[in-house]
Amino acid sequence: MSRKAYHQSLQEVQEDVLEMSVLVGTAILGSVEALKARDITASERIVRDDAVINKKRFEIEKKCMLLLATQQPMAVDLRVLASVINIITDLERIGDHAEGIAKISVTIGDKELVKPLIDMPRMVVQAESMLTRCMAAFMARDTEVAKVICDEDDIVDDLYDHIYNELVLLMIANPQIIKEATYLIWAAHNIERMADRVTNIAERIVYMVTGSMEEMNSSKY
Amino acid sequence: MSENRDKMEVKGLSFYYGAKQALKDINLNIKEGEITALIGPSGCGKTTFLRCLNRMHDLYAGNRYEGEILLEGKNILKRGIDLIKLRSRIGMVFQKPTPFPMSISENIAFGLRLKGITNKGEIEGRVESALKDSALFDEIKDRLSEPALSLSGGQQQRLCIARAVAVEPDVILMDEPCSALDPIATVKIEDLMAELKSNYTVVIVTHNMQQAARVSEYTGFFMLGEVVEFDHTKRIFTNPKKKMTEDYITGRFG
Repeated sequence: MSRKAYHQSLQEVQEDVLEMSVLVGTAILGSVEALKARDITASERIVRDDAVINKKRFEIEKKCMLLLATQQPMAVDLRVLASVINIITDLERIGDHAEGIAKISVTIGDKELVKPLIDMPRMVVQAESMLTRCMAAFMARDTEVAKVICDEDDIVDDLYDHIYNELVLLMIANPQIIKEATYLIWAAHNIERMADRVTNIAERIVYMVTGSMEEMNSSKY
Repeated sequence: MSENRDKMEVKGLSFYYGAKQALKDINLNIKEGEITALIGPSGCGKTTFLRCLNRMHDLYAGNRYEGEILLEGKNILKRGIDLIKLRSRIGMVFQKPTPFPMSISENIAFGLRLKGITNKGEIEGRVESALKDSALFDEIKDRLSEPALSLSGGQQQRLCIARAVAVEPDVILMDEPCSALDPIATVKIEDLMAELKSNYTVVIVTHNMQQAARVSEYTGFFMLGEVVEFDHTKRIFTNPKKKMTEDYITGRFG
């Protein structure tokens, strides 16, 4: 592989990561949308489509391993590949969280939700926005944006607290809904974890650009 | 992590081939008992620099040094330095193996005799220990009186290292010691370097950046006769400070 072709491949790997993040972003928004709309078909599709995300992750990882083995990347190139391998792991897990919400939706089936979903869509929009901006920062090597995104994890955590407290109160008032209410707590917890994973990605961006490994916002959960 | 002391200190070194300046104001320290690698594109001055360290350039007329090179605090660029003695303290291994056209053991004994050692028993003992230090003894112990030129390239290079080691130098300079060797012989030399550093200070010039990354503790990046960056190897190859170093080691140069 010529050096030019190598640098081209390195660029392609990063574009692949961006593409994977779009799949993940679509899945996470769709998972809550389907849960809210009680659209079981859509939820089932999200569960199925998670396999596409997983496949994409392996494809990218294989490309990284090939470049590591054949091109001996150094310095920033090495940090890019190491970061990519970490980032795709986080993206894959965010996809799993979306799949988790979709499975909860399928499990709830045609039953009514124990409460209308208001904060959960807000939470997922926030998480998806963090992911999208984080990936833009990844492509632009923008550490400032990455740091801002880490701070925004608190917004998601606060929404989670709110949903949790609300559902606990509902369960106390009406123990008959404990099962269904617990499902919703799990769904919200999945979103909370998505945002945590995004902060991991943001930390990798800072490492990729500066070489410094640091935890930027440790989630309260 | 505590750092080893400076074995050699290079201060404001410039070097001229006649009128042409090949090195400009080099300042760096060589740590004792560590391997220092010098990298950079062809013509950047890394070999010229290496050859300053034991004044190899003095073999040709018209060359000129400026600045200081201290070996354990003493300036080796001073007039009146005994160059034979200096080169026995700072040995050199070249790119192509350069065994003398004599037997394997004579190759090593030669330098010892030059150093004034005449006792046959002592010479034999030191030949054997130098061959052992160079990880060659087991392979050739039954062939010590055979011509050194009958050895393979990798063995010849280890013999050259044994020859350098036999006179018990402080520092061993290696000028692309593996560039004429196959990968297996290269691995043996690299393993050998790692062992040598417990007793010697090693400075190696290499075109092979992976080799520099693998074997050395410190790396200096040379460019157009200047040191662009000198730092811990792990820093140079993961997160160099200078963009020019980054561009060179990631192959984005020129």
